[in-house]
Amino acid sequence: MLTTNELERYDRQIMIKGFGEEGQEKLKRARVIIAGGGGLSSPSSIYLAAAGVGMIRIVDNDKVELSNLNRQVLHWDKDIGRRKVDSAAEKLKKLNEGVEIEAIDEMITEANVSQLVAGFDLVVDAMDNLPTRYLLNKAALEKDIPFFHGAVYGFEGRAMTIIPGKTACLECVYHGTTTPEEKFPVIGVTPAIIGCIQAAEVIKYIVGIGELLTNRLLICDGLNLKFTELKVKKDPNCKHCGHLGGKE
Amino acid sequence: MGIIKINIPAYMQSFTNNMEVVEVNGSTVGECLNHLVKQFPGMKKQLFSKNGNLFENIIISVNGESAYPEQLAKPVKEGDELNIVLIVGGG
Repeated sequence: MLTTNELERYDRQIMIKGFGEEGQEKLKRARVIIAGGGGLSSPSSIYLAAAGVGMIRIVDNDKVELSNLNRQVLHWDKDIGRRKVDSAAEKLKKLNEGVEIEAIDEMITEANVSQLVAGFDLVVDAMDNLPTRYLLNKAALEKDIPFFHGAVYGFEGRAMTIIPGKTACLECVYHGTTTPEEKFPVIGVTPAIIGCIQAAEVIKYIVGIGELLTNRLLICDGLNLKFTELKVKKDPNCKHCGHLGGKE
Repeated sequence: MGIIKINIPAYMQSFTNNMEVVEVNGSTVGECLNHLVKQFPGMKKQLFSKNGNLFENIIISVNGESAYPEQLAKPVKEGDELNIVLIVGGG
């Protein structure tokens, strides 16, 4: 049940066809884990908190550095040296007091990933490396939790939504490929675009409206401002999701 | 063997005289990429490792669909459109 305050706060999105008070109540009940507290996490968490997602857990074990501030807009000059999750939680609570924010200062590993995502309705991939993305992909598949992938490089962005057992997963698309773990170029507008797309997908999934970004990897070429798609299929021999069956 | 178009990603266009689209000939993805490299030798280091394999972090799509697992061996025909997709992991 929405309060009078909530009805006013979310009035403009409740007006959207297919959204309504029922959609807003679904958002209020939703529990979302955002893996990462940096560039992609900033826009996705801001817009999910603003939209009224009931509970957001943010996991990251980094501290804020000066070189983060060109893109990680949840963190400000005053936050340099603070734990990113604390900095993020503070801003998000101020943005929307009605949203529960949980800050987990941990590195996501094979040992803890399953426990971290357990009990959540959706996983947002806001990581900065592919190996951890594969851990999250696998854990989300095992626990039957939808997984919202995003990644960036320079002005290039990628996004895809994964519904366990039904659509292609990250491993189906990338086949375990990794990229060198080195400092990568990026400008803030790229994770802003991709993080907002991830948040839009999360909201659409929870509310149950629109068409999801499934079985297609969105490719954003920010330099030419062109969006293209790579059509992908669920791989029946996929190491992560092949055993789950479902449509190809 | 007809004309196939390869869309060049923005970050690689400095190696193709800023051309966004390059027309090539070939009956497989590999032949098309070789023809691309013949026209623009700077593309070789962007696509292939020293031993001549396509970099692992590159996906080639044919008419929007991933060429995996055939990749270079995948047949193409006149009018097909190839895209070079870089796998990225930053966040």
